[in-house]
Amino acid sequence: MLSVGFRALFRREVLRFVRRPKNTFMPPAITNVLYFAVFGVILGGRIDEPVEGIGYILFLIPGLVVLGTISNAFENASFSIFHGRWNEYIHETLTSPLSYAEMVVAYVGASAVRGLIVGVIVAIVGRLFVPISVENGLFLVATMVVIAALFAGFGIIGGLVARDFDDLTVMNQFILRPLVFFGAVFYSLTMLDTIWQYVSLLNPMVYMVDSVRYGLLGYSDMHHVAPAGYAEFAPYASLAILSLLTAVVIAIDVYLFKIGYGLTD
Amino acid sequence: MPPAIETVDLVKEYGDLRALQELSLTVEEGEFFGLLGPNGAGKTTFINTLVGLVRKTGGEARVFGHDVESEYQEARDAIGLAPQEFNVDRFFPIKEVLQHKAGYHGVPEAEAEKRADEVLKRVGIYDKRNERFDWLSGGMKRRLLLARALVTDPDLLILDEPTAGVDVQLRHDLWELVTELNDEGTTILLTTHYIEEAERLCDRVAIMNEGRKVTVATPDELKERGTDTISVRLESSVSTSVAADLETDLDAYAHEVSTAGDTLEVRVDDGGSTAPRLLNDLEARGYEIADLEISRTSLEEIFVDMTRSEDRTVTRSSASSADEGTDTDTDTGADDGAVETEQEGVA
Repeated sequence: MLSVGFRALFRREVLRFVRRPKNTFMPPAITNVLYFAVFGVILGGRIDEPVEGIGYILFLIPGLVVLGTISNAFENASFSIFHGRWNEYIHETLTSPLSYAEMVVAYVGASAVRGLIVGVIVAIVGRLFVPISVENGLFLVATMVVIAALFAGFGIIGGLVARDFDDLTVMNQFILRPLVFFGAVFYSLTMLDTIWQYVSLLNPMVYMVDSVRYGLLGYSDMHHVAPAGYAEFAPYASLAILSLLTAVVIAIDVYLFKIGYGLTD
Repeated sequence: MPPAIETVDLVKEYGDLRALQELSLTVEEGEFFGLLGPNGAGKTTFINTLVGLVRKTGGEARVFGHDVESEYQEARDAIGLAPQEFNVDRFFPIKEVLQHKAGYHGVPEAEAEKRADEVLKRVGIYDKRNERFDWLSGGMKRRLLLARALVTDPDLLILDEPTAGVDVQLRHDLWELVTELNDEGTTILLTTHYIEEAERLCDRVAIMNEGRKVTVATPDELKERGTDTISVRLESSVSTSVAADLETDLDAYAHEVSTAGDTLEVRVDDGGSTAPRLLNDLEARGYEIADLEISRTSLEEIFVDMTRSEDRTVTRSSASSADEGTDTDTDTGADDGAVETEQEGVA
């Protein structure tokens, strides 16, 4: 898998965003400073601890890390594919001897890296406001890698189906962000009525935010609100399901490349 | 050794539109092969099928024996493509663009950098290596497309109208460069609108029209298929009615006779061998001959004749009915049967 061709494409994709920090890393850093300052310090100071022993700013960090990670992974992959299609330079890749799987994994991998870097930036910004100690490091890393890859995989699909740049904006603003905002980033599920707790469980973002929160803070809402039987293993079950979903999405990406969906005539 | 390109009954349909119609074509290794045809003839579709930018609807296509779909990696690795469109990565300086392209083809990083420098020098834009594509002039952009095709050291170089819109100097530079490459053993497939280009460069040319192959021949063979015009200046002027009479009298070899003042113009198959007979016939009829000139039909005129047809869109249904009624390869709109159509799959 790690052929010279794969490494060349992966490197190209990483260089594209690394060389433009003003476009790629500065905006999430600034946005998250604002989030922590306004929601954490100004408003958070007036909000009781959502969970016993965890202050509001600390509670916010995992959700904002997830938000930054997945939106950047998605945006990077969808932009890279769509912009390449729009200006047709994706032909440089398509006419090369890279296998379809190598192409997809290079795009997904590089976009996931961008998502993870943004996730770390958000965590560092959060650290400026409150001390953090990682509770389940290995679990946290595994979860972050999986969700970054998952949304990079979704980004590939977005980049292939988009017909213009507005479509990309719609996907990010009207699908991704609402799901994240209702994904227990800013509140604990335990604060909701039972019926809304169950409705929230239909939102896949809830599991991602909860898993990262478990990895970072050692606290999982699922232990309190998920159905018995699932609750006990919730974070690990979530990680397993998310891993499976990521594999399925990447397989779909490879299939779409193979049939040339959005790429060939 | 398998042919550089081999297609058998290649078909590409866009919905109801047939862009390629049972196209069978063979380009031998080491050949300089031209693909001629008017806009919409299917030349670019054919090329894009080989490199994977178009998925065929039917038939077979192989590059150096590798199927373009089931063995796409091997097939694509052998091809360097300089397309019509400026489809170049705008994010990086052009040298890095070339390094990336070489990398995709498995060239290690250090070697890719060396090759990028070499091809930039070869096409004459090395001093622009740190510029981005958008800052290059039109001619330089064209050179870069060629450099990008060369950086992977391809066995088959495909040039899709490489000299469209470029100045004379650049055109000659490009001709010189691709001739050199061909001499070094690279197989070249060239599509062009410029007949002179094909005549000058190509070992063989295929003429395409409406997704079909009209013919495959050397430029010389093609020119031989055209008619010649013998212009005979007489000592006295002749009337137009004489032309009609002569056309009847010279029916055995003259396709057409016309007059202009004191000149007779007689269209024949082979001007060189027919001229003495024509002179004898004219003298026998009492005409005094002052001067004679033979002009050959240009390749351009032959090309226009071969591709002249009604402006019609080829659809699956019309193609089917054509297939039922006639041999598909003979339905070319060619003039007076002068075109020897290709009946076999192999050119």
